[in-house]
Amino acid sequence: MRRLFLALSLLALASCVTTPQPEPTPEPAPAAPAEPPKAEDPQAFRTKMPTPGKSPDLVLPTFEQTKLDNGLTVVTNTRRELPLVFVGLAFANGTSQDPAAQGGLADLTYKMLLEGAGGKDTIALDNAFADLGVSPSMRVEPDGAIVGVRVLARNADKALALLADVARRPTFAQKDFDRRKKQQLADLVRRLGTPWFLAQQAYLEAVFTSAHPYGHPGSGVPASVEKLTLQDVKRFYQKNVGPKATALVVVGDVTKQQAEDWAKKYLGDWKGEAVLPSAPPAPASPPRDSLRVVHKPGLEQTFIMVGRPGIAVGHPDEYALDLAITVFGGFFGSRLNMNLREAKGYTYGAGASSDARLGVGPITVYSSVRANVTGPALAEFVRELTDIKARPIASKELEAAREGLIRSYPGIFETVEWVGINAATLFLKRRPMDEFARQVEGLEKATPAEVQRVAETYLNPAAMQIILVGDPDVIQQQVVPLNLGKLAPMDVAGAGKPAPGKAGK
Amino acid sequence: MKALVAAVILALGLPALAQEAKPLEPGRESLAIPYEKYKLKNGLEVILSVDRKLPIVAVNLWYHVGAYHETAGRTGFAHLFEHMMFQGSKNVPDDVHISMLEQLGATDLNGTTNFDRTNYFETVPSNHLETALWLESDRMGFLLDKLTEEKLETQKEVVKNERRQGTEAAPYGMAREKMWHTLFPLPHPYHGDVIGSMVDLDAATVEDVKNFFRTWYAPSNATLTIVGDFDPAKTKALVEKYFGSLPVAPKPQKPQVAPVKLTGETVIRHDETVATLPMLTLAWHSPEYLTEGDATADMLATVLATGKASRLYRRLVLEKQIAQSVDASQQSIGAQSVFTIEVVARPGVSTDTLKKEVDAVLEEVRKNGVTAEELNRARTRYDTRMLSGLESVGGFGGKADVLQSYNQFVGEPSYLAQDLARYQAVSQEDVKRYANEQLRLDARVVLHAVPAPQAPAAPKENK
Repeated sequence: MRRLFLALSLLALASCVTTPQPEPTPEPAPAAPAEPPKAEDPQAFRTKMPTPGKSPDLVLPTFEQTKLDNGLTVVTNTRRELPLVFVGLAFANGTSQDPAAQGGLADLTYKMLLEGAGGKDTIALDNAFADLGVSPSMRVEPDGAIVGVRVLARNADKALALLADVARRPTFAQKDFDRRKKQQLADLVRRLGTPWFLAQQAYLEAVFTSAHPYGHPGSGVPASVEKLTLQDVKRFYQKNVGPKATALVVVGDVTKQQAEDWAKKYLGDWKGEAVLPSAPPAPASPPRDSLRVVHKPGLEQTFIMVGRPGIAVGHPDEYALDLAITVFGGFFGSRLNMNLREAKGYTYGAGASSDARLGVGPITVYSSVRANVTGPALAEFVRELTDIKARPIASKELEAAREGLIRSYPGIFETVEWVGINAATLFLKRRPMDEFARQVEGLEKATPAEVQRVAETYLNPAAMQIILVGDPDVIQQQVVPLNLGKLAPMDVAGAGKPAPGKAGK
Repeated sequence: MKALVAAVILALGLPALAQEAKPLEPGRESLAIPYEKYKLKNGLEVILSVDRKLPIVAVNLWYHVGAYHETAGRTGFAHLFEHMMFQGSKNVPDDVHISMLEQLGATDLNGTTNFDRTNYFETVPSNHLETALWLESDRMGFLLDKLTEEKLETQKEVVKNERRQGTEAAPYGMAREKMWHTLFPLPHPYHGDVIGSMVDLDAATVEDVKNFFRTWYAPSNATLTIVGDFDPAKTKALVEKYFGSLPVAPKPQKPQVAPVKLTGETVIRHDETVATLPMLTLAWHSPEYLTEGDATADMLATVLATGKASRLYRRLVLEKQIAQSVDASQQSIGAQSVFTIEVVARPGVSTDTLKKEVDAVLEEVRKNGVTAEELNRARTRYDTRMLSGLESVGGFGGKADVLQSYNQFVGEPSYLAQDLARYQAVSQEDVKRYANEQLRLDARVVLHAVPAPQAPAAPKENK
């Protein structure tokens, strides 16, 4: 699930890349040097890129899905190379289900599941997992939450027993809640030191508006988290966590039958009324009325984020958009990276992604650039976006992206953990179990005209919001002359304010 | 594969799970990786290991050169050079190396530099193995044919941006660098922490690139490892075709570097400008990778700070609630390792308070050691983690890297079971001794990274 996943990982790694000038993508074929060598040169073979043999069959993971009587979904994938198993639970109600003004509730609730369960307190629960060689963590996303562990096959049964406790029998002790909440609040303070987290908050508001289910950071902001109570957590759990809204994912050295027997044993008698959420509504996509600026005085780089609402999974434009985004900013060799990084040297990497969610997710273009080229770099962002229309995607670029994306599928699914997280994501996004085969087919079929049309539709710079994090004076001096809109300073959850309390010396 | 952790990564942003490579328990047979190792006439070492689970092949080259081999005034050069390897060579056009591989479906495609080695790798669909060999051999043999001043200047800028992203503009980046400089004062080659200084990066010349290439990038100083779905006989012929005729050059001599010894407690107080919470770091020199005490340090780090029941987390985060996060690690390196404890404070808590508590936890270990149960749990973690390092044929820390790492450090690629045996052998007594002899109060660096109490006020909310 390159696509489903790219989005999850990419903001964390703002370090990618991209592209060039007139003829951006290199030829897949020869690319011979100017002078053909003489026939007797024994090294002549080096001048040509080798001709590949026949492509091997595309091997995609095959998932089997069943449902228990209580509505619990069970997804399995057997692979026997090593005695390892990934066991995970995917909960379908994510941060998009935070009630109004209670941003951070889903996050806090799911994290509380690991603060004591099944009669074990925080430490006893952690030690029980540690006996199996793991410390689970909960990843909470807009479309759901996933907790999973990769264990030796002999420990898989015990791991599932513990995860079942976590899902079904959380302790929700007041003292643990009080501590966890303080920890979450302090974590918000900590994250305000990170440029991309500052950008993300302004970005979500600009692209979705804060009233939209995807319009707030999943962690919440201090003002919303401050008000959360243990009652809120219990209520969220009752309403949103239950067998009908949960999938058990088992991948690795285990049979389907064994996985289903475990599911029945540990989760078969789980009762609960929580249901799958409906997809959030499509957000409006207003033209840009200003550039949002988050001040971080003295920062040596400016973090640039440009984006807009994109599409939901299953949208007819999905595969054409993947291809367009790949050409524009998805590969290292994409237009944006090859220009900003390799030609100009403005950045360590620039990239773009489309995060197709259950509802309409964002399309994001980003880079961290040297502060003193903030203006020129932003101008190049806009130029590359404009160029999608002025300099349409060449067939060489398109076919390179198509072949590259399709052929990379087998290599993406090497580890049980990665396969497991992808299976969990299929459930959270309501995709069929043969989704990857459909993706390959969709990528194969997208026509050049479709790709060009979606590129122009979704990458039109006038409809994209711009967020800048960096030194306010630098941004003022360099960006105002570009005439992209007025600068609107943003206060994101106390950014720029000192950490509360006294710091040590 | 802790030796890899120190790498500076030229990240591509492809989805990737960074993994550590390590062994297992019940299916112990999985730990013995079948392989064949041989040498070409020009000295290039080759390791082949067939793994047919998917129709893909990992090609992985280690050049046995890293920051350790840099010269005075050129910190960061080994890594800068790594960037130059992607810029084109005699028969490969400028700056298309990565995109050529991307468009044929390569995954796990990257180059990384650490203190002791530089690696280049890609996992390709099995029918493209020859293309990967063509690309790798061309830059091994003919990089300088297409070297230009302009390419070097651009990559200097890229690397300086990489440094800004990881150091100047990253939380605690400058503070950590100060600590590292104190642990390894010049002229120790670890001083630059792989990324190097802005001044040294600026100073690099085309002549430096040429000399570095000629000295360190000879076939005799490299190992090519191929893991995955391939035919060994045909592959050997391809390896001979592409690499066999590359010119012979003598295997370079490893520089001799005297170890650094701390003779007291050095305290650094850094005014943090990026991060928002105070951080305390304690650091010690520690035994080098795979030597006596290295696995013990790993086990102790796990007991101290992995999981909520770990000693530091329990005391500082759960009980006293004065810390936001705790971390302990043995950074295993070839010449001299570093053991680090890093604690981020809750708002309003001073790093001096943290230090008192961390020292109390360490004192307890020095006096009473750790429990057998704690060690058993840590062992299971290493069993699981090492085994899962074998899941991917290539990539950072995958099977090819595992073979390479053991090959470089002990000369035996299939050393996983022996590596794991080190962890099995660590006793309570070993841990106690390590804490007393290595984690001394009078031979460490203490870093207080504290945000200025008054950051400039941000503009008011304008929603």
